[in-house]
This record gives sequence, structure tokens and C-alpha cells, in this order.
Amino acid sequence: MKRFFYVLLGILLVGLNGCTDKCKETRTFRQFTPRTFTLAQVRQGVQTEQARTLVNPGKIYTKDGFLLINEIKEGIHIIDNRNPASPKMVSFLRIPGNGDMAIRNNILYADSFMDLVAFDISDPQNIREVNRVKDVFPNGQFDGGYWSLNVQQELINDQKVEYVTQTVNTDCENGMTNGGCINCMVFDSRGGIVQNFNSALSGSPAPSTNGTGGSMARFTLYDKYLYTVSQSDLQLFDIKTPSDPKKGNKVSLGWGIETIFPYKDKLFIGSQTGMHIYDNSHPENPVRMSTFDHARVCDPVVVHEDKAYVTLRSGTTCQGFTNQLDVVDVSNLYSPRLLKSYPMKNPHGLGIDFPNLFICEGAYGLKTFDASDAMKIDQLEHLEGFQAYDVIPLNKSLLLIGQDGFYQYDYSNPKKLKLLSKIPVQRPYPAS
Amino acid sequence: MKTIPSKVVWLCWLFTIPVFAQKSPFKPVFTNMTEFGVLFGQVRYNVTAMAENVSKRQNVTAQTFNGVQLRPKLAVGATVGVDWYNSALLMPVCAGVRYDLAQPGKKNLRVFTSLDTGYGFAWLNEDPTGYETRGGWVIAPGIGFRIGRPQNANFILSLSYKRQEAEADKPLNWNEIYKIENRVYNRVALRLGLSF
Repeated sequence: MKRFFYVLLGILLVGLNGCTDKCKETRTFRQFTPRTFTLAQVRQGVQTEQARTLVNPGKIYTKDGFLLINEIKEGIHIIDNRNPASPKMVSFLRIPGNGDMAIRNNILYADSFMDLVAFDISDPQNIREVNRVKDVFPNGQFDGGYWSLNVQQELINDQKVEYVTQTVNTDCENGMTNGGCINCMVFDSRGGIVQNFNSALSGSPAPSTNGTGGSMARFTLYDKYLYTVSQSDLQLFDIKTPSDPKKGNKVSLGWGIETIFPYKDKLFIGSQTGMHIYDNSHPENPVRMSTFDHARVCDPVVVHEDKAYVTLRSGTTCQGFTNQLDVVDVSNLYSPRLLKSYPMKNPHGLGIDFPNLFICEGAYGLKTFDASDAMKIDQLEHLEGFQAYDVIPLNKSLLLIGQDGFYQYDYSNPKKLKLLSKIPVQRPYPAS
Repeated sequence: MKTIPSKVVWLCWLFTIPVFAQKSPFKPVFTNMTEFGVLFGQVRYNVTAMAENVSKRQNVTAQTFNGVQLRPKLAVGATVGVDWYNSALLMPVCAGVRYDLAQPGKKNLRVFTSLDTGYGFAWLNEDPTGYETRGGWVIAPGIGFRIGRPQNANFILSLSYKRQEAEADKPLNWNEIYKIENRVYNRVALRLGLSF
């Protein structure tokens, strides 16, 4: 009987599989398809719609208990977050080609491909377009897809981004495949960086009549000016009268600009290769002071006083191959000094509300640390079971974006975070 | 408190002694089978979306079974091995059974079957930059000969089938979001070894 069982099992296994190795590679990638819009189509596309599900959330902005979450290239979700335990989706403001925003008083500034649009948001239920500065942004990039403005023909040349999942049989070796597509050799004209949500926000809040955004934003407010960075230029807007923005100076910065943040009277402009520091004592005319190349800006950084916390992780487009948290002394901006490194598993975004430090560990969840002593950062809690990409600590309430949702935690007891609410995110691709 | 462990030990003795004593001529003994061999297989893969190619694969394997000869024909124990696949060095840790089927003509030749199942770990594997290999479930039924007198060390020749699963994360290209490879190695193993 036993003999029979063995023979049967053997035959079954061999018969089912043969002696052939079966290796299937599943990959999801962005596919770019060219398309064009007329400028009139873009300008007429602005409207308030019913609230919808988050699919590809981008930058996050908060003001007066309201939460504005950018849906990359589509518009802005307006969320009433006055009670973080039950956020209400109020509406969706459709703005074609929107990626960034800033709020002063009751005016929301948002980009819409080539234009800067000003909205009156005093009534979140009824948002009105009040003004528009036309044709100020010549080109840009969303989720890896590029667009450019053709002024003569009044067209936007855009690349539509779709997520394609493909499975191919591989030879079980570690070679790089291109999915069995011979024409799929890809050339990355941009130097290999895909700015995604992962690095799109993280920062410490600053109280003002302005709203609060992440420190990885492309829009920032300072004095009477709105600063916006495109891929190569810093464009100023005079917002002395908030509802009537006027095109100001334009400063050429060089290629690969990703972020801007003001720090004291300096402007820090992050590019793919380094950090430019501009003296901003004359806000209408920032002057370049220096550039330092030590910082790899695609690594998320948060700063508290004279210490910067940087996470490095493997497998990013930045070609880093370590997983760690670095604490850097930045009291001298020209020569940052590494104080200590802490090993991490797969760190993504991070946020600091001193002395609490929050680090997203990708598929390994969220870690909470006590960072009061930079040389001895202690782990307080480790939440697992979800994929965490980025956090913003905000007045005892932690905003966290993950693969499947937008979470809010109460961190009044940093040793035990309390989940307040979760807004689901339906991504068009699987968890990595 | 101190007396409880000794009572447990005593009870265990009570239960085990009759088993040992049931058939007086046979006592369970330690047994070991150590083998080296080759895993033979092939792989069919896409060159383009339409065309496929086939490559043959031969990989070195080593394993050692250590267990207890519970009955004259049956041994139960653990099998630990190392399999050098082309892009993964896996260490299967399995529960194993060895059962003697026949002793043709009562000569010094015995036919046995084996079954090992467990998990292949990637502990020893070194990954290239950007890769992360994980092991997986493994099962290996087989049949073999032992040549030599049952009391002595034996020479073994065995043929078995091995199904080993594994998984690898691969580095992402600039436009990729997610890339994972699920591997199933289906191999025939031909091994030589010794047992005692």
C-alpha cells in the first residue's frame, strides 16, 4: 500500500511539472502614450466635482482643518479633517495637469499644465476660480511622463501614463529582462529619476496663515511671493494681493530641479545632483550663494534645528544600496558632518516632531523613535502589516500615506500610536 | 516544583521502555546517509514575446540525512542539504523518511524509497546588487539502492525528483514599479553516497 502511494506521488509530481524549471517574472511598469490637448481644453477643464476615491495621491497640503490631497495630474481632493477620527471627503476640484499647490489666506494657488490658477476656497463646497496667470510654465513632468507647451499652436504635448502588468517566462537567472519586448530598450532622457509620491512629501509644519505642505514641494510661499520651481527655473509670483497673482522674476537654476523650501532667509533648492542655496534677503530677487553636492536630494531628509535626518535605501532610482538612517550635523551648511548611522530595513519617507521621529519602512510598516539624543535614537514602537511610504507629523496627529490608504494616527503617546482613521487608496498597481 | 520534571522523565521511561522491548532483536539506532550528486533539468523561457528558447541545467547538490532507524526497514529524521542553482544557493532543511522496499534475493543489495519535504532557505545565498532571493517549499521523493551488508556502511546510488520553490525581487528599471520572479525548480537528482 505504502509502495503504491510512493509510486503514485512520484508519478504525479513528475507528470505535473516535468523536469522543467518554471520561472515567471511579473513586473508592473509605466507605459507612456503621446497625446495632445488644446489650451482651451485645459482651461475649460477646471470644475468642482463629487468626491472620488484616491488613486494616485501626490502632495498633501493642510489648512484650517482641511486636507488637500493632490491626485497626480487630475486635481485636488478636498477633505474636511476637522475631526481626524472621521475625515469627510467634501469634493474633488478637477484641475487638468495639477501637481502642486499652496494656500495663502483663502486663496489656493495650483498649477494646471502651463497656467497658474488662483481659487477662492473660503467655501470649500463651492470653490471658484478667481484668476489665472497664463503660459508661465513651459514644461513639466508627472509620474515619469513629460509635457511641454507649444505656444504657437496653442497645444500641450503630453504623455499619458498607464500601468501595465506583464508576466514572462524567464531562464531563472538574475539577468535583466525587458519583458520579452525587443523594442522596449528604454532611454531615460532625464537622468533616471522618477519623482514619485515616495519622496514627494515629508516635513515639519510651520504655523502661519499659509497652509502647510511637505518640505519636498515645488511651490512655497515667502513674504509677498509665491516661489515655484519647474525643472530648470525658479518662477516668482507677486501675491501682494492674494487674489491677483502677478508674474514676477524668473531665475534660471540648471536642470533637474525637484524641490524648494525656505529656511530662515535662505532658499534651499534641491536638484538631482545637489542642493543649491539661495540668499533670499531680497525676496523679489534671490541670489545664489553656493551649491553643495554632498546631499543626494532624492533621499528623504527632515531637519530639526541643526540636525538633519536622512534615510538611504536600496533599490531606488538614486542607486543607493544601503538601508540606514543617517543623522547629520548641519550647523555649518557648507560642511555637513555625519554624526551616526542607524541600520534600517527599507526606509522611505520620514517625519520629525522633535523628539519624535517617524520612519516609514516600506513593506515593514512604520517605526516610531525617540530622537532626543542623536547618538542614541531609541525605537519606541513598530507598527506592521501595511506598506508605509511617507508621513507628516502635525499637532499630535500623524498623516501617513501607504500603499492601500491614507492613515491618521494620534501620537500623543508615541509608544502607542492610535489609529484614528483610514481613507482608502485604490492604486492602479500592486504593492512592491 | 523540583519533583515534577523527574516525574515526567519517569513517565516517559515507562512509556518508552515497552516500545524498545517489544521486539527484542531490534533496537532503534542512529542512521546517516550522506550523498553528493547532480540536479538535472531544463528551462524554457521567452526570448521575445513570441519566441522561446530552452536551456539545459545541471547543478551540484549535497545532502545529509540523519535520523533514527525506528524499524528494521523504516528510518525517520532530518535532511539538510545545499543546492547550487545557477542564481541561488539554497539550503533545504527537511523532514525525511527512508523506507526499505525490498532486498532482492536476500543479497547485499537493498532498494529503498525516500521522501523529504521542508523549506529551502536562502541563508547562504549572496545576492547581486538590487536582488533579494528568498527560498521556498521543497519536496523530494526518490528511489535508490544500498549496496553492502545491512550491519556495515553501505554505498548508495539514488535517483530522486526535486521540486523547489523560490522567489526573487529584482532591481527596477526606471519606468518600473514592481518586479518579482517566482521560481519553481523541477529537477531530477542523481546522487552517490554512503550510509551507516
